[in-house]
Amino acid sequence: MTGYEHIPGLIGVKEDRGETTVLVEKERLSEAALHLQGELGFNFLSDIAASDYLGWGGETAGSWGSADGRDLNVPYTLGLDLVPEPKPKRFSLSYHLLALRADPVRVRLQTWLDEGETVASVVSVWPVADWLEREAYDLMGIVFEGHPNLVRVLMPDDWAGHPLRKDYPIGGEPVRFSEEA
Amino acid sequence: MGIAEGKRLADYGLSSERLLMEGKGPGAFEQEIARMEKLVLATTLDKAIAWAQTHSMWPDTFGLACCAIEMMAVPGPRYDLARFGMEAFRNSPRQADLLIVSGRVSHKMAPPLRQIYDQMLEPKWVMAMGVCASSGGMFANYAVLQGVDRIVPVDIYVPGCPPRPEGLLEGIVRLHERVMAGVPPAYELGEEIC
Amino acid sequence: MTATVSDSVFTGPVLYEGTRIPSPVPSWVQVDPARLEDGNVREVNFGPNHPSTHGVLRLVVDLDGEEIVGMRAVVGYLHTGFEKSMEQKSWWKAINYPSRIDYLSTFQNELLFVLAIEKLLAIKVPTKATWIRTALCELNRIHSHLVWLGTMGLELGIQSIYFYCFEQRERVLDLFEMVTGVRVHGRYCQAGGLAEDIPPGFVPDARTFCAGMSKAIDQYVHMTERNKIWLKRTRGIGVVSAEDAIRLGLSGPVLRGSGVNWDLRKREPYLFYDQVDFEVPVYNGGDSYARARVRIDEMRQSLRIAEQCLDRIEELAGDPWISDDRKVVLPPREELQTSMESLIHHFKLVTEGYRVPAGEVYVAIESSRGEQGCYVVSDGGSNPWRVHFRAPSFLSIAAAPTLCQGHLIADLIAISASLDTLLGDSDR
Repeated sequence: MTGYEHIPGLIGVKEDRGETTVLVEKERLSEAALHLQGELGFNFLSDIAASDYLGWGGETAGSWGSADGRDLNVPYTLGLDLVPEPKPKRFSLSYHLLALRADPVRVRLQTWLDEGETVASVVSVWPVADWLEREAYDLMGIVFEGHPNLVRVLMPDDWAGHPLRKDYPIGGEPVRFSEEA
Repeated sequence: MGIAEGKRLADYGLSSERLLMEGKGPGAFEQEIARMEKLVLATTLDKAIAWAQTHSMWPDTFGLACCAIEMMAVPGPRYDLARFGMEAFRNSPRQADLLIVSGRVSHKMAPPLRQIYDQMLEPKWVMAMGVCASSGGMFANYAVLQGVDRIVPVDIYVPGCPPRPEGLLEGIVRLHERVMAGVPPAYELGEEIC
Repeated sequence: MTATVSDSVFTGPVLYEGTRIPSPVPSWVQVDPARLEDGNVREVNFGPNHPSTHGVLRLVVDLDGEEIVGMRAVVGYLHTGFEKSMEQKSWWKAINYPSRIDYLSTFQNELLFVLAIEKLLAIKVPTKATWIRTALCELNRIHSHLVWLGTMGLELGIQSIYFYCFEQRERVLDLFEMVTGVRVHGRYCQAGGLAEDIPPGFVPDARTFCAGMSKAIDQYVHMTERNKIWLKRTRGIGVVSAEDAIRLGLSGPVLRGSGVNWDLRKREPYLFYDQVDFEVPVYNGGDSYARARVRIDEMRQSLRIAEQCLDRIEELAGDPWISDDRKVVLPPREELQTSMESLIHHFKLVTEGYRVPAGEVYVAIESSRGEQGCYVVSDGGSNPWRVHFRAPSFLSIAAAPTLCQGHLIADLIAISASLDTLLGDSDR
């Protein structure tokens, strides 16, 4: 879909596996959100997904291979792109938008932020973002400025820490054989 | 009454599937009964009371997750729980005898669980239905209580993810056998069970 | 703790006129101060242990007599940490987890995750597997709606419908047990297809079920449509306009009950939904009655789809049920005795698991509750880097206060039942 060029704060547009990702600067997120909702007709916010990339680019998750050196046994890669491309900052925030109409269009609005940075809330654009942002705050620790009620939603109110961060331990209790992969 | 050393439930007229295994020595269940027989000194009146308790042990509606759906299937038409006198699931813990913890207990839910347990009147029994209630199940993580016996004393554990309704009924039958044998509920047995 | 709000970075337009979404917090109906002074307002806690909240949901309701003047929902009592647990397991093992999220639409959830893996892998799934998946998805939808109808009827006073629905539910579960080996949580989907072929008796038994179910749905319609209590308790209760529903992120039967003709099976078809004939029931009332009718009609349409799928499955008997890409799929055991490569593939798959190329995808399906989505990030390794599920129930619960404002306490039960929320899905 054309028209993405005029989104305020646009850094780039990526197409991969049939999905379009629109990268914007964090500072202009609210303008971008308004533009997408008003001008481009994305009236339905499906999901806000936050992801923590701490430790990205070292060993691939769960593998025995290492970042340096070719591993011919890795499927689809011939060992050439074993190292995934580095990420700009620690957290990515993806807003999965849908233009709910006869010819639907989906797009992912993505922005990046580091630990301690805040991002604008889009509650006044899409009211569904109320609890979605609360969940991102609760589990990832991303603070949304302008959110009217940013408190924990899934964890108990007095919980310390943000469980889905990569530096938060898995918890539970040690089970036999759990040290071995 | 009690169960003397070397005797089995069958000798007292109770049924257990272990009877089908001829030549097998008293299994762990019977050994446990034998071990606890010192705590038990049942008269005919006690036996009558136990008979009454097992024949109308009303569960509490404490359905949490997937196991709750299988628990809801048990009073249904195929696995009729009414034949045990237990189809009356009480919503108020004050009126319930059996707390079937069916499903994963998160840390946020643990205080309400303990509160519900405390609100039940004695005698009360607890069944940990499913592996999540017994030991945390497949969720060895920050969010799930690793076994409900950390906060309430459990009388019977029913494994399965989720246990079939027949499995739940087996657990209920075993619990009834326990009560009929004169075994006190878990809160009277203290550390020996948990 | 609330976040510190500095100068507002955003000065957007006010919500359009006529919205019933509360302000400033969309999910919290706050008591009007005038009411607090004049009225007799009490704060009452519903749950988390409550028979009618369909799970461990806590609703904090401000009541003036019987009227709801304030409400907010508190969830998290079933938060299980799925997303973190799945990061610790290999792709193959992580497929076990999603069924437990929405524990009524179990097959649809595990299918969703597997579809996301397949999108990242760009692997081709055999036709027969896709037809079987479509049929089982629809049977699973029927299962979910049966439990919904049974419990909603139980709460609104039609206690006998619980038995009728659970009777049919047992028959659906018999079919699932025949195919997957267990009643629920079958873990039948694999990346590339299905774990095993369907057994020979499945198609005839499924056809028998469909015939019986069709008569049963007539019974359910009879029991609800001609029941004055049902009609009085659901008509005009919990009205949400189409605009509000879209703003609140509602989807599935809730959205279709408000007049929006939106079903992902028709609009963004996945599996083989574009090759089967079915209709999407849409009702304009926006009330609990409309939502309930949508689901009952959906059951009938699901039967229609399932029957068409069964015909195609029968035609394709003998075809493969899983891809033959040995880098992802286990080779058949007979091959291990003759082929060295198969042995190595088997070894690598069982010990390390398959690697999924780096990337991120978002896949959405139309589950029984609405749009269920899965966002997966892979870094090329054998474990997922991040898995996130979009839960329709989470948002329905957030929207419940908007629907309940101004109603009586008894209507709250009807509304929350008609939203068909499931706490496992909401809390993940």
